[in-house]
Amino acid sequence: MGRSRSDLVVFIAKRLVQLVPVLLGVIVITFFFTHIAVSNPCAIWSGPKASPSTIAACVRNNHFNDSLPVQFYYYLLGLLSGNWGTDPLFHTPVLPYLLTTFPETLELVLTATAMMIFVGIPLGVVAAASNGRIADHLVRIFYLSGWATPTYIAGVVLAIGLGPLLGVSGGDFSTATPPVPQITHMSVIDSIIALNGAATVDAIVHLILPAVALAFINMGIATRMTRTSMLEVLPLEFVKTARMKGLGEFWVLYKHALRNALITTTTVLGVTVGTMVSGTVVIESVFNWPGLGKYAYDAITGYDFAGTIGVVIFFAIVVVVANLISDILYGILDPRVEWR
Amino acid sequence: MATATVPATKVPAAPGSAVPARRRGRVGANVLLVLRILAANPLTLAGFIVVVIVSVAALLIAIVPAVSLLILGHSVSVLPYPALDAGAFLPGQAPSAAHLFGTDASGADVFSNVATALPTDLGIGFSVAGISLIIGTLLGLVAGFWDAPGSLSGLASTSIMRITDIFLSFPTLVLALAITAAWGRGEIQSELAVIVTWWPFYVRLTRGEVLSIKVQPYVIAARAAGVSESRILFRHVVRNLLEPLAVYFSLDVGTVIVTYSTISYVGVGVPPSIPEWGNLMYSYQDSLLTQPWTVLSVTAAIFITVLGFSLLGDGLRDILDPRSRRILASTAVAGTGGERP
Amino acid sequence: MPESLLKVEHLTVDYAVGAGTFRALNDVSLELAPGRVVGVVGETGCGKSTLGHSIPRLLPEPPAKVKTGKIIFQGTDLMRLPKWRMPGVRGTGIGMIFQEPINSLNPAYRVGDQIAESVRIRKLREHGLTPRVKPDVKGFDYSKRELPKAADVVTGPFIPPNVSQTLKTRSPPMTKEIHAEVLDFLRLVRINDPERITNLFPHELSGGMRQRIMIAMALSGKPALLIADEPTSALDVTIQAQVLTLMKELMEEVRTSILFISHDLGVIAEMADDVGVMYAGHMVEFGPVAEIFESPRHPYTKALLRSIPNKYKDEGVLPSLSGSVPNLSKLPDGCTFNPRCPLARDVCRKKPEPPLATLPPGPLGQVHKSACFFPEEVPTMP
Repeated sequence: MGRSRSDLVVFIAKRLVQLVPVLLGVIVITFFFTHIAVSNPCAIWSGPKASPSTIAACVRNNHFNDSLPVQFYYYLLGLLSGNWGTDPLFHTPVLPYLLTTFPETLELVLTATAMMIFVGIPLGVVAAASNGRIADHLVRIFYLSGWATPTYIAGVVLAIGLGPLLGVSGGDFSTATPPVPQITHMSVIDSIIALNGAATVDAIVHLILPAVALAFINMGIATRMTRTSMLEVLPLEFVKTARMKGLGEFWVLYKHALRNALITTTTVLGVTVGTMVSGTVVIESVFNWPGLGKYAYDAITGYDFAGTIGVVIFFAIVVVVANLISDILYGILDPRVEWR
Repeated sequence: MATATVPATKVPAAPGSAVPARRRGRVGANVLLVLRILAANPLTLAGFIVVVIVSVAALLIAIVPAVSLLILGHSVSVLPYPALDAGAFLPGQAPSAAHLFGTDASGADVFSNVATALPTDLGIGFSVAGISLIIGTLLGLVAGFWDAPGSLSGLASTSIMRITDIFLSFPTLVLALAITAAWGRGEIQSELAVIVTWWPFYVRLTRGEVLSIKVQPYVIAARAAGVSESRILFRHVVRNLLEPLAVYFSLDVGTVIVTYSTISYVGVGVPPSIPEWGNLMYSYQDSLLTQPWTVLSVTAAIFITVLGFSLLGDGLRDILDPRSRRILASTAVAGTGGERP
Repeated sequence: MPESLLKVEHLTVDYAVGAGTFRALNDVSLELAPGRVVGVVGETGCGKSTLGHSIPRLLPEPPAKVKTGKIIFQGTDLMRLPKWRMPGVRGTGIGMIFQEPINSLNPAYRVGDQIAESVRIRKLREHGLTPRVKPDVKGFDYSKRELPKAADVVTGPFIPPNVSQTLKTRSPPMTKEIHAEVLDFLRLVRINDPERITNLFPHELSGGMRQRIMIAMALSGKPALLIADEPTSALDVTIQAQVLTLMKELMEEVRTSILFISHDLGVIAEMADDVGVMYAGHMVEFGPVAEIFESPRHPYTKALLRSIPNKYKDEGVLPSLSGSVPNLSKLPDGCTFNPRCPLARDVCRKKPEPPLATLPPGPLGQVHKSACFFPEEVPTMP
């Protein structure tokens, strides 16, 4: 094992293979949880006025009369052939819907991650550099505040309190009728592709508040981790070496100290994405954002089993891939790490 | 070449430095250290005070009615009015002397609502974090201490970690939502749902710590000296786990409160008839612009409680986390002349 | 005597730890003439490292606090310079080598890039391309020896230094001249395959190699003053000898001024022209190495010299100094050394030690200073 490119490829391949049992476990757990708890949701699905024959057809189509392992076998078979089931109300297929809503959530999560990196990490550096002094206390209060504010409160306050100021009323932050063709399903990127300036501004205005609400709670994790690892790095001798070269304080902090502190900060990236994905469930519902999180909420509360399992699979993939990315970043940042 | 070394002498003890303090006996020294840092760092002290006040208040609110019922024959509350008492007062009153936090749209006293929810939320925070701590720590100990590859215990260790990985790749809220949606709305169900998603973090934490403790020189020395495995496990491994776990737990109580109130807010936590901060927030959110004191009161309650636990945990981490303690210790030693041990 | 390069005057440094403070340096003065090597010796915790760190103002403040004193470097009092101008003094004015080569190189960057950074800073200053950080001091005059043969010209248009620093850090596009100089400096510290070494990370090198790199890096700023803070203490004995030999050879070649800090009297004897002996934050004796070793005039110095093993004589049990370095927060009354001093009498227990006073010339005819009440009694000390 070493650090060559082929070692990295083998490393990534191995990790992707390990993804399979994890995904299988996630599918099994979600499937049995939902199907044991509500063994026959046809009555709920079809509504109170449905005729017995409709319900019987529903039961037959969904194999609800079979034993659970058999139902699972049918489900798995469908899953592998690309048929992830249909939504019980409108009978639309789950997979294509997931694929179009996923980019919407990705846009939100990536924006929030960018805020976390470009605001959260420098704040951690500032706090560590002024350890124990007033700036440190202020930053600590700020990031712990993010932690102590439930996502929904940040969301509600921003959506109802600030939304009207940005011209978004009624808490509906989806760009309702996008004036541009939906290519990537990310509103900002789509409007940039269409070279539509007004639409781009509009898309950014709609994106900014949900992203801030999502970033606020996670900012604390990045700031805190950066502060902690900077405090570990700053007393090390090589920081003095950097100072003794005649470098200014900015370069000492950001080029020499932060570069090493980031190694530990990246390890929390995976965890952060996990909490962020959870956050989207609330944020997207509060802001009416048409993404995976809102879909998850609707599917779960609507007894939409296919949708629930589908969305959980997506989320699990996101979390595992985020962890993989953070491991790769870790290896790139730390030259002592070997891929294995 | 004549090289000679000045006879080795002890590093002079800096007053109250962390290093000699640790040699004096760990428990006593740690208590001293904790007290000293609490006094030295105003934020940690503030967190500590908030946690004490909130816990005492929660106990009073929960216990006084029950105890008075037992002794006096009728229930006495420490709160001015009963909670969720719709129509008791004129709806939508701004805060005043009679109604500290005003009244809500249903005419109930906001202060009484928010305060009644305190024991519920705090209890959930402690019980969920506590049960997860017990489950996760036990599994993590097993997975970390007996991880010899090829053996039966090694197999158990591997399977624990695989299962943990699966649960870790569920987003907490989604799994909790799915479970509560399936099991129906109720306090026990929703608490179980959070626990199901919560224990894996403790497995990870414990196993990581155990793996690093296991290779410490003092453990290797103990093993070489023939100390029994069980003694090593309890004397060295478990003893050294307590500090990181204490730190994580104190931070975690706050996180559980936030997560649980979120679950209630989205409508799958405790039933609406029970006052709980997430529930209250849900019912108040529409009056954010017309009766801002309602939302503000709930927000403040969650914020102050969770911030208290976070400040305490964050400060404790600076003291108890071995890595940060190393920094404290090294600055103390550097203080005697710049050398590091 | 030529004008001094560095003059430390009455430097007093306190550390705040917990509730109390203690004095790490107490009224320490020191003088260093250009081209000379001054050694500072003392036990762990005597303040010698604090002294080394306080000169380029590297002490962490807080907990450290410089109470009084001047640090006059090339005529400028560094203590009165605003903090943001200190980088202008470091690197090209004062360079430093640290104790632990394991930690003193940045683990995240290639060795070549780290030296290049130092070379680049100097080059930018030589060409006046550092608008914000004015070089406040002159570097060492290398005219006697053509050390770096590489052209001293940075070609191309003006690039703001900070931008250029980031742009050029990646290893392949190191500019040619800088790269050539990096190789020169690596060869200077007797590294045979500099091309290969530049591409390695610190963790791929041995301790001795790392310390050589550290020396090359410090020299590549061409500093007027080099502070070596226990540069060999963390190395294996054989490597220690190699690095010391290297430093000794370099001193002949480069003739830069050095402040050499060590707990090892033997090393000091090899390296230094003058030596200052420190005890519990005080400078207790200062003067030419030969004179002090021949006839120490402070009981502590004498005791230290006695504890050096002599391989030619079997003296039985090596005499060692009784007692230990005092707790700096609870210094004894009177002279700090009195509890361990065989010459101590009433005045030593009542009055604090006298300041360093010049003594009449010793057996070698040279003058040195001692901070003892009874320096003339030291030669007859039991």
